[in-house]
Amino acid sequence: MTEPASGPAEAGDEPEERVPGLGRERTALAWTRTAISFAALGGAVLKANVVTGLIILAIAPVIWHLGRVSRGRADETSLPAVGATRLFLITAAIVAVSLLCLVIAVFGHAAPGVLR
Amino acid sequence: MSWSRRLAALLPGAAAKDTGGTEPDARFTFANERTFLAWSRTALALVVAGLAIVQLLPPFPGVPAGRHLLGLPLIALGAVLAVAAYVEWMRNQRALRRGEPLPQSVMPWILAATVTAVALVAAVVLLVSALR
Repeated sequence: MTEPASGPAEAGDEPEERVPGLGRERTALAWTRTAISFAALGGAVLKANVVTGLIILAIAPVIWHLGRVSRGRADETSLPAVGATRLFLITAAIVAVSLLCLVIAVFGHAAPGVLR
Repeated sequence: MSWSRRLAALLPGAAAKDTGGTEPDARFTFANERTFLAWSRTALALVVAGLAIVQLLPPFPGVPAGRHLLGLPLIALGAVLAVAAYVEWMRNQRALRRGEPLPQSVMPWILAATVTAVALVAAVVLLVSALR
């Protein structure tokens, strides 16, 4: 039986946290999953509105590329400043996509019964 | 603080100017970024769910606005969560830089409350349409 951890947790307590490179890799994978989520949303919207769906699909590779910035050019000390711009862009993209989807949901042509 | 100043404080330039404190451990920075990305994916999933409800579900008999009643709040919640995730990321990053305790997050509460409300509305809509 393992002893319970004593004191507050710190970075490096967990085995997978001991190597900073793994954290970077997990973050890169999280960016990839986010890009895939955009692609999935674009695919779903394609059914309702082709142009909007293609716009959202086009965002997916941009998100993936933004994730590469954190692995490539930026050194670790400049990550927070670099991150603010990238994360702001993602937030703006999601808000814009949500507004587009709201417009489609209210005014778009529905295909009711597909999920019957 | 006025709303315009609050909005200006959310811009990336304001985050770059906030150099108080020291640079946190890179692992904390990465973890904070991953948390933001996880909330972003949750926001996108809500948008997809809302759009699917409005566009793909068959109409509820006797409740013509039923699909919009369920789908539109989910899409709006997606937009709200995306902005809230960014604000949370900035607050967490600032706290990490200054060695302060992480601020308490209201996002799980917002998500749970809205999903619960939508679920209750869905139950009512289903009940009404079943009785018609």
